[in-house]
Amino acid sequence: MLHVNNLNVSISDTVILNGLNLDVGPGEVHAIMGPNGSGKSTFAHALAGRDGYQIAGTATLDGVDLLDLEPEARAAAGLFIGFQYPVEIPGVNNMYFLRTALNSVRRARGDTEIGARDFLAVAQEAMDLVEMKPGFLNRAVNAGFSGGEKKRNEILQMAVMEPRLAVLDETDSGLDIDALRIVASGVNALRGPERSMIVITHYQRLLEYIRPDFVHVLVDGRIVESGDHTLALHLEDNGYADFVNHDLDDAPTRPLSGATR
Amino acid sequence: MTATSTTDLPDKLTTPVYPTKRDEAWRYAPHRELARLSFGPINVLAGDLPNKIDGQIPVLEGPRIVVVNGVVDHTRSDLSALPSGLQLSAFADARRDQPKLFAAHADRSISSVNDAFAEHNRAFAQDGAIVHVAGGHDIHEPIHIVDVTLANNNTTNAACSHLIIRVDDGASATVVETRIGAGGFGGSNTQTTISLGDEATLDHIVLQDVPSTQVHLSRVDVTQGAQSSFRGHLFNLGGSYARAAYDVHLAGQGANADLSGLYFGTGEQTLDQQVTIVHGAPDCTSRQTFRGILDHSSTGVFNGGIDVRPGADGTDAEQTNNNLLLSDQAEANTQPRLEILADDVTCKHGATVGQLDDDAIYYLRTRGIPHAEARKLLVHGFAHHLVDGINNQILQDWISERLGDLNG
Repeated sequence: MLHVNNLNVSISDTVILNGLNLDVGPGEVHAIMGPNGSGKSTFAHALAGRDGYQIAGTATLDGVDLLDLEPEARAAAGLFIGFQYPVEIPGVNNMYFLRTALNSVRRARGDTEIGARDFLAVAQEAMDLVEMKPGFLNRAVNAGFSGGEKKRNEILQMAVMEPRLAVLDETDSGLDIDALRIVASGVNALRGPERSMIVITHYQRLLEYIRPDFVHVLVDGRIVESGDHTLALHLEDNGYADFVNHDLDDAPTRPLSGATR
Repeated sequence: MTATSTTDLPDKLTTPVYPTKRDEAWRYAPHRELARLSFGPINVLAGDLPNKIDGQIPVLEGPRIVVVNGVVDHTRSDLSALPSGLQLSAFADARRDQPKLFAAHADRSISSVNDAFAEHNRAFAQDGAIVHVAGGHDIHEPIHIVDVTLANNNTTNAACSHLIIRVDDGASATVVETRIGAGGFGGSNTQTTISLGDEATLDHIVLQDVPSTQVHLSRVDVTQGAQSSFRGHLFNLGGSYARAAYDVHLAGQGANADLSGLYFGTGEQTLDQQVTIVHGAPDCTSRQTFRGILDHSSTGVFNGGIDVRPGADGTDAEQTNNNLLLSDQAEANTQPRLEILADDVTCKHGATVGQLDDDAIYYLRTRGIPHAEARKLLVHGFAHHLVDGINNQILQDWISERLGDLNG
C-alpha cells in the first residue's frame, strides 16, 4: 500500500522532515503523534503535494510514487487528505464541489462520470454517516461552517471520494465531545480491508474512538518510536519527554491537557 | 424611418464639451479612441444580420424589440400578443399612436448630465423603444430590448439609441437589455431613461457583450417615486472600453434602489462603472454591490457615489466593490464618493482588491480537481452571488456560459 522511504522535506531551507520511513499495509490504521513542530502536518502535505516544499525520498502508493505527481493526480491515485484547517470557498456550492471532485478523479481513472441525480444518492449516504442535515449540501463549501461542521465536511468528502489511503490531519482539533464522536464513528464506518488510514493527532483522546493498529512517535522530523495502541497511553502519561533528546521550545513535560481518560 | 431629418439637428446639438482625462468620471476612458467615433445620422444597413449575432441573443419568452444601429428592426422584433397593461412600441409608432405619452417621456431636459456623449445621444438617437406599464399591472414575462451595433459602415461608425421605460403606480415589470454587435472599430451610445411611479417595481438587467473592437457608452437614468423599487443588474463583459453610467434619483419617500454589477475584463479591456445614487427624499434605501474580475492587462473602474440631499433623513445606503485580479498586469480602480447633507443617515461603503486564494486552489486540487478547473470554480464562486440575483434561469445560463468563455 504506502511505502515512505527516507523522506526529507525542507521549507525555505529549514529541515522539517529528516529521513522519515513508514510502511502502511492494506486495511491498517496508523496513528502519528508528536509534539508541536515535529513535522506531522508537513508530512500530510508533502504526501498531498503542497507547493513550496523541497522534497527528497520516495512515497509510493500502490507502487506509484506520489511525489512525482500533481496534487490532483495524487487524489486520482487514491490519496485523500483531511485538512486540519479546511479552506472556506464562498460562492461554490458544496454539492457541486463534491460532484466535481468525484467526477474529476473518475475521469482521471477512465471511469464514467456520475450524473446529478445518481450523485444525490451517493451524497445522501455520506451525509447520514456524519449526521448532516440536507441543507448542508446547498451551502457554500465550508463558508461560515462551525469548526465541527468543517471537520464533518472533511469526513463527508472522504466518504464520497472512497480513497485507498486517507491521511487525517488533526481531525480532532477544535471538536467538542459530540462532534468528536460523530467524526470518529464516520471514520470507523469507512475502515475496510482495502482502505488504509493515517491519523495524525496531538492527543490520545481521538484514539479512544479510533483504535489504531500502530502508533508512531514523530520527533524532529523522523519516527523515533513505533508500537501498538498502548504507546499512545504511555504518551498520555509521560508526554514526549522520553523521546526528546534536547530542549524543544514547546515540548510538553507533563501529560497533555485536554485529554480524557 | 431611415434617419433623422437634418433640420432637427442644429438646435439639439449644442456645442458639445468633450470630457478629458481631467474629468474624474472619464479618467480611465480612451480619449483618443473616443475621438475616432463618428456619431451621426445612421445609414440603415440593408440585409441580414450575421448569423453569429442571432446566436448571441438569449432566447427569452416574451415580447422583444431589436434595434440595429439605432433603428428598430421590425422583422426581428416580436410585438404580438402583448400582455394586458403593457405598451411596447418603436419610437416611430409611439410618436404616431401615443403622442402625449411619447412627448412626456422623451423629454430629456431633466437629465443633469451634459457631457458630449449624452448630447450626441440626445441629438442622434432618433429611434428606440418605449415600454409603458399601466398602473397596477404586473407583467411577468421579461421585456427584451436588443441593441445591435454593426460597425461596417463607412460614413458613421457609432450608433445611438434610446430606451424609455415608464412603470406606473403599483405596477411591476422586468426589462432585459442585451447589447451586442459585430464588425470592426465602432461604438454604441445607449441611453435608458426610467421612471417609476409610486410603489412601482422594475427589474432591469443589462447584458453588455459587444465585440472587443467596439467602444460602448451606456447611460441609465432612473427617477423613482415613493415606495418604488428599482433592482438593477449589470453584466459588463464586452467592448474595448465599456462604460456603464447609472444615475438613480430616489425622489419619493421610502423608495429603494438595489443596483448590482459584475464586470469581467480580459485582454486589454477597460470596464468602467460610474454610479451615482441620489437620496432626494426621506427614508429611502440604496445598495450598490459591484464585483470585478480582471484578467490579463484589463482595467476595472468603479466610481460609486452616494449623494444624500438636505431633508433626506432616515437614509440607509450601502456600497461595496470587490475585485479579483487574475493577473499581475490587471488593474482595479475603486473610488467611493459620499456626500451627506441630511440627519439620521446610515451610510456604509467598502472595497477590496484581491487575488485567487492559493490555499483554496490547493484544497480543490487535493480533491482531484485539476488546476485550471479549480481556478474556474473559484472565479465562478466569486461571481455567483450576482448571477444568482437574477430570477431567470435562461439568463443565468447565458451569463454562466459567457463567464465560462471568458474564464477559458
